[in-house]
Amino acid sequence: MILRVKKNLKLADAIWQMEIEGDFPYNKVQAGQFINIRVGQGHDHLLRRPISIAEVRQDEGYLTIVYRVVGQGTKWLSRLEPDMPLDILGPLGNGFTVEEGKYSLIVGGGIGIPPLYELAKRLSAKVDRLDIILGFRSEHDVFWIDRFKKLASVDLFTEDGSLGTKGFVTKGISEILADKERHIENIYACGPIGMLSAIKGLIGKLQIGGGASLEERMACGVGACYGCTCMTTNRESKRVCADGPVFSWQEVDL
Amino acid sequence: MQVDMSVNLLGLKLKNPVMPASGCFGFGKEYSKYYDLNKLGAIVVKATTQKARLGNPTPRVAEVTCGMLNSIGLANPGLDKVLSDELPWLKSYSLPVIVNVAGETVEEYCSVVDRISRSKLAHAIELNVSCPNVAQGGLSFGADSKVLSELLKRVRGVCSLPLIVKLSPNVTDIVEIGLAAQEAGADAISLINTLIGMKIDINTGRPVLARKVGGLSGPAIKPVAIRMVYQLADVLKLPIIGIGGIYTAEDVIEFIMAGASAVQIGTANFTNPMAMPDIIDDLERYMKEKGIKDLDQIRGCAL
Repeated sequence: MILRVKKNLKLADAIWQMEIEGDFPYNKVQAGQFINIRVGQGHDHLLRRPISIAEVRQDEGYLTIVYRVVGQGTKWLSRLEPDMPLDILGPLGNGFTVEEGKYSLIVGGGIGIPPLYELAKRLSAKVDRLDIILGFRSEHDVFWIDRFKKLASVDLFTEDGSLGTKGFVTKGISEILADKERHIENIYACGPIGMLSAIKGLIGKLQIGGGASLEERMACGVGACYGCTCMTTNRESKRVCADGPVFSWQEVDL
Repeated sequence: MQVDMSVNLLGLKLKNPVMPASGCFGFGKEYSKYYDLNKLGAIVVKATTQKARLGNPTPRVAEVTCGMLNSIGLANPGLDKVLSDELPWLKSYSLPVIVNVAGETVEEYCSVVDRISRSKLAHAIELNVSCPNVAQGGLSFGADSKVLSELLKRVRGVCSLPLIVKLSPNVTDIVEIGLAAQEAGADAISLINTLIGMKIDINTGRPVLARKVGGLSGPAIKPVAIRMVYQLADVLKLPIIGIGGIYTAEDVIEFIMAGASAVQIGTANFTNPMAMPDIIDDLERYMKEKGIKDLDQIRGCAL
């Protein structure tokens, strides 16, 4: 479907935010789903760019993505101006399950953070308690902290200590899991595979719900090409685009 | 003016010459959400092997200029599940079902072909002797005319369906391989499978694909495909299914003019899930505009 660019602005080092408007099934979007965006002209780029949905504003008729400029395709995206058309497919994949009444923790790392914003909006309205831990490389990479702070308490980490606590998000998770007063029931996470793997390690045999959202290079984005698979703990292959990108901590092998 | 896009291929009546390339269309379910599969000339499903295959480590796809690389590695749920869960579903469509078969040994090829032949769930077999992404089997059966002949003779003995042999461009002399396939009992040839390629991430200094090399597809390989279809159409009696970088109706016309009876479309489906129905509509429009009543009128005209 063809939508239009509403706004396209730079948020941080190589991090951009785009609002996209037009006819789209906004009411069907699950937090954690993605859209697959056609970039470039002609045969410039044959593969679409899968980018998670950061926020849906159904009433105003637009959705927001936050993307990092890493190559020619995303560079092309960053040059788009308001009212320019955008060819997208979506919403695609299976998002996070929003469970009511639980004590939930959201953990995000870098460019994995955006889909957690729509999730945080939905969770903050429905759960008993929500904590948020966000990690970035440095202060130059930080975005949307104020937005998250409006929804819940945010623990901020940077690898170089230039903002918030120095270190990785796993430090914050370990503290929470070790705290006898806090009984986390769900952990929702998106970020680098190393981060997700470390969280799965910390969870161990604990019965924790929520899930991990994976990133993988994709070709079709709809489940047909088997390009973006991951492994499950019982050695099955799953497609990140169509079976995920969100998997339960128990199911996915990280 | 009424135009006739239909193709008679191996006794199968195709509404039009357009079908998906194996591996780019799963077993059809995903794209059936985008359009009615009956629009297609035929369906070619993912390569099927005796046992389930997980495929290669990721990343297994990468974009390159005018193309893409894949090293999926024949990931599929295995013959039992294909017969029980995937192929029966396609019976609700009125279109020929072509099952792509791969194997690591002659015995595996024969056993899979035999069971699919007898299942009544397929109309033709496409024998994959050209996958560049596996350590055993695949291309090793399609790169040597003697090895290929041996395999085809054995498969022919158990195959009661029309047998299409899908060839690789990664060979020294495609004509020698094509003639060997014809002599050993192939009913049709499909080509080209992907060309072996590599992409290096200049930031890390490492190949992008986990398996380092992968199969190159997309518009970048179309001239190679046109040349090989043309070379084989010139010397073989068998019908040829052209594959390689088709994105438009004009590309289809070019393959037909090179001598192809039908075509397969792969990578274009990823760029646009509606690629095949769009190309079929455009083909009809193109034929009307140019006064081409049926494809026989132009088939092989470049030869």
